Amino acid sequence: MTGQGMGVVWAVAEKDLRVELRTRYALGAVLPFAATMLLAFGFALGPDRTLLQQTAPGLLWLAGLFAAVDLFHRSYQSEAEGGALDALLLAPVHKGAVYLGKALAAATQVLVLLVVTGLMVAVLFGLPLGRSPVLLALTLVLGVLGLSALGSLFGLLTVMGGRQAALPLLVLPLVTPVVIGAIRATSLLTAGASPGGAGVGAGPGASVGGWLGVLCAFDAAFLATGYLVYGHLIED
Amino acid sequence: MVVTAVELNGVTRLFDGLPAVSQVTLRVATGEALWLCGSNGSGKSTLLRLVATALSPTFGSGSVLGFDLQRERDEIRGRLELLGHQARFYGELTAAENLRFVCDLHGLPRRGVGAALERVGLDEVAAVRVASFSKGMRQRLALARTLMRDPEVILLDEPYAGLDVEARVLVDGVMADAARRGRTVILASHEPPAAGSVDRRVFLHAGRLSTAEAASL
Repeated sequence: MTGQGMGVVWAVAEKDLRVELRTRYALGAVLPFAATMLLAFGFALGPDRTLLQQTAPGLLWLAGLFAAVDLFHRSYQSEAEGGALDALLLAPVHKGAVYLGKALAAATQVLVLLVVTGLMVAVLFGLPLGRSPVLLALTLVLGVLGLSALGSLFGLLTVMGGRQAALPLLVLPLVTPVVIGAIRATSLLTAGASPGGAGVGAGPGASVGGWLGVLCAFDAAFLATGYLVYGHLIED
Repeated sequence: MVVTAVELNGVTRLFDGLPAVSQVTLRVATGEALWLCGSNGSGKSTLLRLVATALSPTFGSGSVLGFDLQRERDEIRGRLELLGHQARFYGELTAAENLRFVCDLHGLPRRGVGAALERVGLDEVAAVRVASFSKGMRQRLALARTLMRDPEVILLDEPYAGLDVEARVLVDGVMADAARRGRTVILASHEPPAAGSVDRRVFLHAGRLSTAEAASL
């Protein structure tokens, strides 16, 4: 990518983050949704601490996933209002750079959302986050990148031709491998597994490194696909 | 020699099988100011969006400044500005932030933002969010974008709609300035522009150009 392309990536990301800072949509609408979901599951599962800790990684990523889908939708709504999407369409730039900018902004927002949600999970479910903080942070970043790469691509459909219902239908099945990888890696790391190890109670062949590899592969595939096809989706 | 800035050859655009623009053949010379007349729903906006490459022709071909409408879209987009019904700004951003974003997308230096806002009388509200702007102020901001970009081809879609007298004068000023500088202007409007601001007019009825009514002004 050229220097101008990188400039466009940064400009689009900066613009999206500035809009989010002004509207505080993630903080005001999405985060309470994630918190409510976690509380509801916490009460539903009961006081069994072992059960809570075992289910916590899955709940964390599911709360993040549903909240993120809402964020992706919202991200493109601000483009549709006042015809701003035309400004992106009619800019003489590679549309892949616009896509990467939107994915970067979405990833930043979802990452913040998941960090806050993760802290809530740690408090409510007693999930130990301090056993492998660096690898856990890497898992978060890779998982969020996968979610955002897909969400930023298909979120465009919600403002083109009124296909709002298509967003979860397209995103949720495709993002499943990323969510599974992120949940498994988080489970192993919070259970005290080493990077190459499977951790206590994990099945054969399931290592932290293996799941992080899965996340890397899907992230790369999703980002490359988005970069290449975004122009075809946004153009008439 | 007259150089053609905009050329359309039998351009048709269908929406759900129905033609919004049908078999339009049109040539606009470089430096010419063309007034595209027509009632609401006659296809003026669709025709401008086709020239701006926001839409693709279903049939036919065309070029802007020698660049093909379908194969060289980015070359055209870098040299053309469409001032349409919608101002294409982000309500949550300020006037200056919106123009700075335009600069970033078009590879322009950001230092032109202040002068452009001053020319349209919005310098005092540069730090105000566009969401609180009236329609007239948004149109002024869109004019500031046009001035800042200084494109070779300017497409104006109903630019007078909802504007007060002062803002209308600004639109006419932009057109006059464009003419002086040899820019090509296509004005789509059912309202007549200021006297002497256009060179020629063509009529659009139900998506078709009515050549019988074309006239030099």
